[in-house]
Amino acid sequence: MPNPYIPYLTRVKSIVSENKANDIKTIELEFKNEENYKEFGYIPGQFAEISLIGKGECPIGIASSPTEEGTIKFTIKKMGTVTSGFHNCEVGDIVGVRGPCGNGWPVEEMKGKNIVVIGGGFAFSTLRSLVIYLLDEKHRKDYGKITVIYGNRDPGEVLYTDILDEWKKRDDIKVVLTIDREAEGWTEEVGFVAPIVKKVAPSSDNAVAVICGPPIMIKTSIAVMEELNWKDEQILNSLEMRMKCGIGKCGRCNIGNRFVCVDGPVFSLAELKKMPNEY
Amino acid sequence: MDQKILKKDQIGKFYNEFAGEYDFYAPINKKGSIVFEKIENPEDIVLDYLNSKVPPKSVLFPQEEVLFEYSLDEKDVEITDRQNLEQKILIFGVRPCDAYSFELMANFFSFHGNWEDEIYLKKKENSTIIGMGCNTPRSTCFCTSVGGNPFKKEDMDIFLTDLGDKYLVEAISDKGKEIVKKLSWLSDASKDDLKKAEDLAKKAEEMIVTKIDVDTIVKNLDTCFEHPVWDEISESCIGCGSCAYLCPTCTCFDVIDETDQYNNRGRRIRIWDTCQSCLYTMETSGHNPRNTKIQRCRNRIMHKFSYYPTNYDLLGCVGCGRCVSVCPANNDLRVILKKIQNIEKMESEKINA
Repeated sequence: MPNPYIPYLTRVKSIVSENKANDIKTIELEFKNEENYKEFGYIPGQFAEISLIGKGECPIGIASSPTEEGTIKFTIKKMGTVTSGFHNCEVGDIVGVRGPCGNGWPVEEMKGKNIVVIGGGFAFSTLRSLVIYLLDEKHRKDYGKITVIYGNRDPGEVLYTDILDEWKKRDDIKVVLTIDREAEGWTEEVGFVAPIVKKVAPSSDNAVAVICGPPIMIKTSIAVMEELNWKDEQILNSLEMRMKCGIGKCGRCNIGNRFVCVDGPVFSLAELKKMPNEY
Repeated sequence: MDQKILKKDQIGKFYNEFAGEYDFYAPINKKGSIVFEKIENPEDIVLDYLNSKVPPKSVLFPQEEVLFEYSLDEKDVEITDRQNLEQKILIFGVRPCDAYSFELMANFFSFHGNWEDEIYLKKKENSTIIGMGCNTPRSTCFCTSVGGNPFKKEDMDIFLTDLGDKYLVEAISDKGKEIVKKLSWLSDASKDDLKKAEDLAKKAEEMIVTKIDVDTIVKNLDTCFEHPVWDEISESCIGCGSCAYLCPTCTCFDVIDETDQYNNRGRRIRIWDTCQSCLYTMETSGHNPRNTKIQRCRNRIMHKFSYYPTNYDLLGCVGCGRCVSVCPANNDLRVILKKIQNIEKMESEKINA
């Protein structure tokens, strides 16, 4: 029983600015001790408590897929003290990592099913992890059709453009990108995510939908999915709450009797409907 | 024989038996408040108290506690784990409600299998609890309504009963029996002593007049999340959080890094936090899932009387009454619980009126 508050130590291997506003960066971390990477073993949809020792710690979804071996990635928006600290990081800096925390996307239960991924804004990070995992040659055969619907305010906010381009070249995944309003040079869909979901009309037959994004996008998309005959059990959400420990001890991320950090962050719509509306 | 007598003028001798091997904690009077602190001089020990202001959870889960220490240089970080978790701890003079709270906390901190809180659990494992029956429970006590008793012995290693000028000493656990066996200078208890202790226990139980029907409360809480009763319950709350800080079962904490600017050394610590503070759940984006006082007051009650029973099949309250006596707005937990207990009655009265 080791001290669960002590992080693994990692070093920043690369830093990529993800948007035009330059307030979202993806930081790639390499464990100081390679053995720790194996111990860390994670699945898509889990998160970690990452810290700048001396500044503080915060929970961030893991943006890399376990199939991208050797390093882990986090996409971080500049918001408060710790996330601003990450934005000032340089290659080689030390970052503490505790985890993986939470349940993650149920990739085992999703086997044999068609997968619909609906994302909005910078909440796409754990969806990036999931899709890369599903498309990996070791796993692709385990899953049916894959559809990704990803919306943003404007073209400058679209994350992971290189990877999206790669996906678009493949014939075993359908990628639909949308932005809120017309913009020069944009050739893909225009409109909020929910109406685009209606237009794409993914079938609920033998399918699972994973939805991640701002609350209003989740709410409106779910309404459309219900119109399309999706059942509550087929729709998965990943929640965010303020957290300190990430391991079910510090108390603050409870929704009713459940802790988002250990019982979540992934809940089905059926589960959410049984929980109080306090998130 | 497991029942012995410790004379009150032998407390110093008792302390000296343990002081070297154990960190010896006991109640002292600190600026007018009874608190548990590490004893350096046995004359500081105060045992004629009703209950401590700050619960002895502060021994195993202190208000601020180091999680680990670190040193920083230009391009590297070194982390040092806590070294002192093996130290033996003795907590002397604990009331039965508080002794039970250690069990509740151990249960909570060991929940969620992969992530046990080693810091609390190790300290708990290395602790010996020497408790004391309550001859005169306070008017705010209601342990008998939540499964406790002013003479409940099973959460202690050794149980003391105050017999006036001496204590009846009963070894409860194996650990306690070991210890009592070693204290060969304790005299044997007489039949009269045992009889007197029994009478005191009976009298104490009768003195607790508050009776709360927790089964009904647990059941009602299942369906009253949106009930207007929470408006009423939270109306006088000023959100100070005293109820949570001084609650022997409240475990919530914040985590911060404290760095010494000049020496590049520091420590990550946890500090008591409270769900009664609006910042507790405030997210960086500005979104706050429990933005209103109603939600925060409800969370405290639901946590102890609904979420705890659902998750652990235990109540999250030991009936010590500290939140009742400390609340600056007189928001009395007993009154809150009665309101929830009587929700159905209230409803039918409304319909009839």
